[in-house]
Formats: sequence, C-alpha cells, structure tokens
Amino acid sequence: MYVSREPILQVKNLKTYFYTEDGVIKAVDGVSFELYKGETLGIVGESGSGKSVTSLTIMRLLDEKAKIESGEILFKGKDLLKISEEEMRKIRGNDIAMIFQEPMVALNPVYTIGDQIMEAIILHQKVKESEARKIAIDLLRKVGIPEPEKRVDQYPHQLSGGMRQRAMIAMALSCRPQILIADEPTTALDVTIQAQILELMKELQREYGMALIMITHDMGVIAETADRVAVMYAGRVVEYGTVDEIFKNPKHPYTYALLSSIPRLDVEDQELKSIPGTVPDPLNFPSGCRFHPRCEFAREECKNLDPKLFEVSPSHYTACPFYGVLENVGVK
Amino acid sequence: MTAYIIRRLLILPLILLGVTFIIFGMMQLLGSDKLLAAYVNPNVFDKLTDEELEALKDKYGLNDPLIVRYGKWLNGVLHGDLGWSVVGKTYVSEALMQRIPYTAELALYAIFPVIGVGIWLGIVAAVNHDKFIDHAIRIFAVIGWSFPDFVFGLFILMIFYSFLGWLPPGNFSNWVEDAIKSSNFHYITHILSLDALLNGRFDIFWDVIRHLIGPIITISWLWWAYLLRITRSSMLEVLNKEYIRTARAKGLDEKVVINKHAKRNALIPVTTVGGAMVINLFAGTVIVEVIFNRVGLGSFVAQAATQLDYAAIMGGALFYSTILVVGNLIIDILYAAIDPRIRLG
Repeated sequence: MYVSREPILQVKNLKTYFYTEDGVIKAVDGVSFELYKGETLGIVGESGSGKSVTSLTIMRLLDEKAKIESGEILFKGKDLLKISEEEMRKIRGNDIAMIFQEPMVALNPVYTIGDQIMEAIILHQKVKESEARKIAIDLLRKVGIPEPEKRVDQYPHQLSGGMRQRAMIAMALSCRPQILIADEPTTALDVTIQAQILELMKELQREYGMALIMITHDMGVIAETADRVAVMYAGRVVEYGTVDEIFKNPKHPYTYALLSSIPRLDVEDQELKSIPGTVPDPLNFPSGCRFHPRCEFAREECKNLDPKLFEVSPSHYTACPFYGVLENVGVK
Repeated sequence: MTAYIIRRLLILPLILLGVTFIIFGMMQLLGSDKLLAAYVNPNVFDKLTDEELEALKDKYGLNDPLIVRYGKWLNGVLHGDLGWSVVGKTYVSEALMQRIPYTAELALYAIFPVIGVGIWLGIVAAVNHDKFIDHAIRIFAVIGWSFPDFVFGLFILMIFYSFLGWLPPGNFSNWVEDAIKSSNFHYITHILSLDALLNGRFDIFWDVIRHLIGPIITISWLWWAYLLRITRSSMLEVLNKEYIRTARAKGLDEKVVINKHAKRNALIPVTTVGGAMVINLFAGTVIVEVIFNRVGLGSFVAQAATQLDYAAIMGGALFYSTILVVGNLIIDILYAAIDPRIRLG
C-alpha cells in the first residue's frame, strides 16, 4: 500500500496530567509520534499506559481534571492545542473522527441510528435533512448493515453489538474524515465479529484514503492492521517503528516481553511468558526507565535513564539504550 | 403502546375497587357506634338508649355484613351518591366538587414553577459541576431540604402579608366572592382564574393569582430541593456516559450535547419523582392549605379524617386513588415517549 511521507498529524512531546485529590497522574508524559497520510499507526499498550488519554487529548475531549501540560499536536501544520474550542469543533467529526470501544454504550439509547449519523452530516456538510438521510442510508449499506432503509430508523438497542459498531463506523465516516482514531474498536466484540470489523475498517480506509490510529492492547490487531506502531508503557512511547521491524526485531524489553506473551502459530513448543510484576501506580511511577522494575534485563543505570528515543534504524526507535541485549535472545 | 394504555385503563376500575374496599373495610374497625354518628344529629346521639341505637343501626344497615354494606356504598357511588359529609355539612360529592377546582387551580399554576424550575436548577448545577453556581445551588438545596415547609410558609405569610401586605391568605378577596356570585359571572371551566379571564375580569384574575403566589413559593421551596438533587445527580451520571463523548466527538456544540443528548436521558429517573409530585399537587397539599387558609381538598380530607367523617373519607379515597392511577398511567406513557427501550421493548 502506498504510504505518503507527508505527516498529517504530528504529536510532539505531549504531556497530559490529571490532578486528583491523591496527587498528579502523569497519564501521558512526553509522547511524540507522526501519522502519515493514508497509513495506519497502531498504538499498543496495557490499560493505563496512556493510549486512550493520548487519543482523547488529540480530540481535546478530556474532562476537567485533565490538564495538557505541554506539547504540540500539529494537524496539517496547525497546533490543535492552540486553536479555539469553536475551531476545534469544526475539526471534530469532520476532519478527525473517533470510534470507541463499547458500541453498547457509545450510542445514545434514545435516538435512532439514523438521527445520530445525520447529526454530524447536517452539522458539517450543511445539507438538508432529506439529503443527510440518503447519505446515512448509503453509509449504513457501505458498512455492511442489511436493510439500511429499515435500520436507519431503529434504535441502538434493536441492533446487535457488531451492528452497532458498524453503525458507529458509519457515523465516524459520515463526513469523510482525514484521520480516524479507533480506540479499541473490537475489544468488546465476539472474535468472529472482530475480524469482520477490522477487515471493514481496512477496506474503508483504502477507499477513503484516511489515516488511521488504531489503539489497542492486542498485538494481534496491530499485526493485522497497522503499518507502524508506537508501543506505550506508563505514559511514554518506549518503542516506535514499522510493524515489520518491531515484530521481527523488538528493541525494547517491554515490546519483547509483550510479543513473547502472545501465542504464535509459527513457533513450535512456544513457551508463553508473562511479564512479572504489575503495571506501575500512575501516581508514583518508578524513576528512570519506568519499565525497569519489571525488566528481566534491567541494570543499575536504568533507574536514572532519560526518557528519550534512540534510533535503531531510520524507521525504528527505542527508549532502551541497552537494546543490544535483545540481539541474542530473539523472540521466542 | 395503544394496547398497553387500553389495558391500563381497563385495570383502573379494578384498582379503584380494591383500594376502596380496603379503606371501607378498615373504616368498619371503628365499630358501628362511631359509624352511626355519621347519620345522627350529635346533640341527640348521647341521649339515645341502647335499644334506640340498635334500631338506628338496623335502619342504616350498620348490622349488615361488610360485603353488603360495601355493595350499598358502591351502588351509591355508581349513582353519584357518595353520602353525607358531617364536616362539609353537605353531600360528599358536593363538598368534593366545591374544593377540587381550587386544588386543581393551585396544581396547574404550581406545575411549571415547582417541576420546571426544580429540574432546570438541577441541570444548571450539573452542567456547572463543582463551579460556584453548583455550590450555590447545592447550599440552597440543603437549606431548603432542612427547612420545614410549615415554618417557611409562615415566614412567607409574615413577610409578604403581615409586613408588606402583598400576598394575602385565602383563595381570593372578599369583593371577589360577591363578584363571582353575581349573575353576570359565568362559570365555564370552574377554575376561577380561567373563568375570570373568559369573563374578561382581569381584576379577579389578578386577585386569584396574588393568592396563589405564597402557596406556590412554599411548595417550591421544599420540592425544588428534592427535585434538583435528583436531576443534578442523574444529569451528572449521564454527562459521564460514553455516548456524550461520542456526541462531542462529532463536533456538536456543547449546548446541543446537553439539550439534546444529555437532558432526555437524564430526565428518565426525574419523571418518576416529578410525576409523583404532580400527583401530590392534584391530591391537595394539607399544610399549605392550612397555613394560607385556603379552601382545598387536602384540608377537607384531613379534617374529615380527624372527625371520622367516614363518607367524606371514602369520597376522598376514591378521588385520590383515581388521581394516583391516572397519574401513574401518564407517567408510564411519558416514560415510553422519552425512552424507546420501553416503548419498543
């Protein structure tokens, strides 16, 4: 697939903190990545790694407790953190759309599917209701919902989970956005439905030429959909590069551990490993490399490491300066 | 939906039968002597001999079995005869018909300020969560909640009647009574303020409204506190739902997010409480009627209960259960209108 080298979105040193009564949660703490036109960037990490907060920061949909401390989010050269709320509203749903994890709760139960899709079309494209309705029906057909003329007037509770997620996708695509952020779009669905939805998203991405940010905790989803991947741990990107390089040649012990923990069909007698310890307390992250207490290769220097990325190759970066140790082990 | 409403309306008479039978049965626990008092002039009552008492009980059927007596009462009701009210010194039906329009009038005018404003305050507080206005509204709610309505009503009366002379007690001024009894005042709806307008008597209309303001403020005071707290918490819960985030992610204006996406969902639980309040308004509000010296159902039935005026109690019970059943039916219909999950199962 052709992927342009022109970034449509650049996130630079983004820091989003939550001020709670117990202290400051540094949910996103210096995250940088680029998204190129037409590509799929996977953001992968355990829950609490800051991947969802990153996406909500891009959309500026955080609640009041969250504060964007610093950083830039450049969308076609414009810093989304500097524009007014009104300008941001014109971008939301129109240029950058988002789909959420739980299609069960992400649709408003008291309005019809059609009404909820048409809303964004009428808002951004300034078309009449009858025209918007036609577009909505076409979209529902496009996302593979049977009898779209009938479904358009149905309520979310009358649709199955998979159908609802399809309707969510139709809603997100209604204004032909340039970027689609999908936050765990298949996590809440049955496995068979998951594959269908991912396939549908890939197909529509190709057709619409959108850039896609796929947020997931599932390395399998990344392997299936993404061109490049940013691995997040405790609010930071720890490894960043093309899917090929990262899956074949992980250069960060965390990525290495993640990959070792998923079953693979191509490896015989694979020993599944779990990562020792637990995700660190966000109120009290470890010093230096935040993964060091759980890292099997950790050494004394790791406690005072600077959080920066080292270049492995022009398309592969890691936060671990000692990534050489992984040379000899390989992914088991 | 239509079938559901028809089914509910068909059940209505059964519920009324059940409620009135239970109350009728409980009234019999008073014993036949007390019940006889409803039929006999109290001045003569004490002088009667036991034989005369028994004869009177036989005459009025008080020695008949419960079911027979209930049947007789029911037969009377079906013929529009609810019996004689000792307290009202008139037929029960007459006494109720005199008072229901006043109660209905207060209820009609109170619905918007009490329910509407209460809900509005709750929404404003939730939307401005943890900001100054939210704290101010919550403090107001706590004060309103802990301040008894009879004390508050007296305050209103003292300040706005005794001191300022703005809001007089009663249903209307004395001159209005003469005016509405004259032959050129036509009763059309029996709601006095409306009839005043229809007769072109704006002076009477204004007088009636002036008498309604004190009671409405007093009812509002307590009910706002309750209603706004329920609305606020329901709204806060809804505002944290994912579909609200979806709505925002579409680029919708925050006003649309709140007015279209949040409000309708938040009002579902509020409908129950608000509906119960409206039912209470139409059933009459005893304390407000007593404090403001108003003619109304609440004070009448309360008086009937204290004086064991059993025909009036039965009449009141019949009215209350009708209001309750019909009111709850309306609440259920509203639910279905708001929430398609109920409407479409």
